[in-house]
Amino acid sequence: MNTTRTTRLRALTALGVAATLALTGCGRDESSTSGEGPGQGSAVEEGAATGDIEVWAMGAEGEILGDFVKDFEEENPDAKVDVTAIPWEAAHDKIQTAIASGETPDVSLIGTTWMGEFAQSGGLDPTPTDLVDEGDFFEGPWGSTVVGDTSYGVPWYVETRVLFYRSDLAEQAGWDEAPQSWDELTQFAADMESKAGAEYGLNLQPGQTGSWQSVLPFAWSNGATVTNEDGTEYTLDTPEMTEALEYYKSFFDEGYAPTRMLDAGELESGFASGQFGAFVSGPWHTGLVEEAGVKPDQYAVAPLPGKDSAPGTSFVGGGDLAVFKDSDNRESAWKLVQWLSEAETQQAFYDEVGALPAVQEAWETGELAEDERLQVFGEQLTSTVAPPAVPTWEQVAAEIDSEVEKAVKGARPVDESVTTMQEEASRIGTGL
Amino acid sequence: MSTGVNIDPTRRPQAVAAWVLALPFVALFLAFTAGPVLASLGMSFTDFRISDMRSPFSVDFVGLENYTALLGDELFRKVAMNTALYVVLGVPLTMSLALAVAVGLNRVGRLRGLFRVGYYLPVVTSIVAVSVVWKFIYRDNGGLLNIVLGWVGVDGLAWLDSTTLALPSVVVMSAWRNLGFLMVIFLAGLQTVPKEQHEAAEVDGATAWQRFRHITLPTLRPTLLFGAIITSIGYLQFFEEAFVMTSGGPLDATRSVTFFTYDQFGFGNHAYAAAASYLLFLAVVVLTFIQFKLLGEKD
Repeated sequence: MNTTRTTRLRALTALGVAATLALTGCGRDESSTSGEGPGQGSAVEEGAATGDIEVWAMGAEGEILGDFVKDFEEENPDAKVDVTAIPWEAAHDKIQTAIASGETPDVSLIGTTWMGEFAQSGGLDPTPTDLVDEGDFFEGPWGSTVVGDTSYGVPWYVETRVLFYRSDLAEQAGWDEAPQSWDELTQFAADMESKAGAEYGLNLQPGQTGSWQSVLPFAWSNGATVTNEDGTEYTLDTPEMTEALEYYKSFFDEGYAPTRMLDAGELESGFASGQFGAFVSGPWHTGLVEEAGVKPDQYAVAPLPGKDSAPGTSFVGGGDLAVFKDSDNRESAWKLVQWLSEAETQQAFYDEVGALPAVQEAWETGELAEDERLQVFGEQLTSTVAPPAVPTWEQVAAEIDSEVEKAVKGARPVDESVTTMQEEASRIGTGL
Repeated sequence: MSTGVNIDPTRRPQAVAAWVLALPFVALFLAFTAGPVLASLGMSFTDFRISDMRSPFSVDFVGLENYTALLGDELFRKVAMNTALYVVLGVPLTMSLALAVAVGLNRVGRLRGLFRVGYYLPVVTSIVAVSVVWKFIYRDNGGLLNIVLGWVGVDGLAWLDSTTLALPSVVVMSAWRNLGFLMVIFLAGLQTVPKEQHEAAEVDGATAWQRFRHITLPTLRPTLLFGAIITSIGYLQFFEEAFVMTSGGPLDATRSVTFFTYDQFGFGNHAYAAAASYLLFLAVVVLTFIQFKLLGEKD
């Protein structure tokens, strides 16, 4: 009994020592973590795509894409595109595991806020030179593919945030058109309450997950930036940021926005009943409010007000298409990406799924050019900023969410909140 | 002199057979339990981040840095405090409710099965479904609780949107959900309480409370210990209810250590998250040890 225990103990100790040695034996290779990006990938050769191309896509895109790429397969008879639909909730972990194990598909749709992380982990192939023309895309979305100095993919579809308001109530309140500046927006929210009977003039998110997407547009509109030019340092603690957060907070202080978290569906039904006069959100909300019983002529969308004049700078999100380093069919994979980012394909894809095209030309004809509401999104897209594509963004965004909540609920003065954001962000580092 | 005196000749083949039979388990255990546990322990002493996934060994050994950083982390201290509150509020509440129900049900003759099923039902219901329903009960406007309070003239409160009320509200829901499990355990324990002692004490004029205090409780001691440990571990790892009902808010008032760890894994700080889980593990060990000391058999 005694001897077995000693043996066991010895074995455990040996294991521990081995593990420690293994860990201490191989430290970080300093050269690989710093310095310049790898530069763009080598150009893709002319000619048709061949072989199997495995694609992962999420959400409605994933469900539709399989049929949609039939046209590509017709143009490239030797190529076969195999689409796997993945739910958004599982996608991040799945891609992460795939990169870690080297068992990746050839192409995947990647949420814009994940680009920094996946590119930094070495899983993504830099975009080949001359594959697409950067100038064809909206500037904000293109920025989401650039990690360090290198682009790691191509924007596929985009979404941006605009002001939704009850136009019938606005008219009652004496507003024939949407507010253009910050001062007007405050007045607008006040009038929605005092003259049109709304309980809340303008709903904004009181902190918690994702509230940075509502706050940062105000900061960007005010000239603040999140990181420096090459993404090596966070630059949150600026007078512009403080002023923007101060302004954001004023809506809660004045009672124009509720400080409590809304339940699912509460905003839409409240918008329909006139409880909420306005809110800021993305294109999916046109469908949601109409489902909740708002008639199309009862509401309107408008570009975000700027500090002094519209349009302000909004948030841009969406999805990028990236090719993996471990792809067995790199050339053909990039050819598929190229095809998907052609203006015609983008327009056809909009008709099919309703995802807003990232290519500017796709907006010049068809429904996208004619629909008034869609045009507002198109206009807003010319003035957007993507969150920084750095590996630690999700964590810093959560810090911002938490400080925003403290600020709007009065748990911490605004300037201290901004200082804390910066301190935490500096401690975390951008990871580049 | 040789040491091996009179060794049974069949012993050796038996040992071999035993190892062969144990091998499938040992292999699976090493590969899927011991391996990952040791790896995560090792990882907690490094600066492993998600971007190191492709080359897991080229990370730096940082000693206890993650642990000291955690202790200095304002948010971690907050969530540790919250977790302590979950245990301090949740364990006594759940246990006393479960014990009360068990003692009550022990006396009920008719419909006993029905009640048992009723109290046990929440345990087998999905936590997410229960949490969503309770979220509606606690709702500020038009929540069931506030409507009922309105009938007796009390102004409703924003249960889940108040930094002071949110955590207790979540605990109450969790106690309601978990008491069924403990009730079954306690009911079983109550069967071991000797009837003769109760009858004798009754004859001697002991009140119901005295009998409960001096006969029932001491007999239940091992059952209570088991209940306390299981419940404490549950509350130390509190997560789903807060995740669904409050997302950890308002102002992190309901965020637990497990929630914190989950977030850190999400941010890609694997080493930091691993360190946080080991601190939680340490808390589980310490708390269990204390409970053994306090409630365990006295020699």
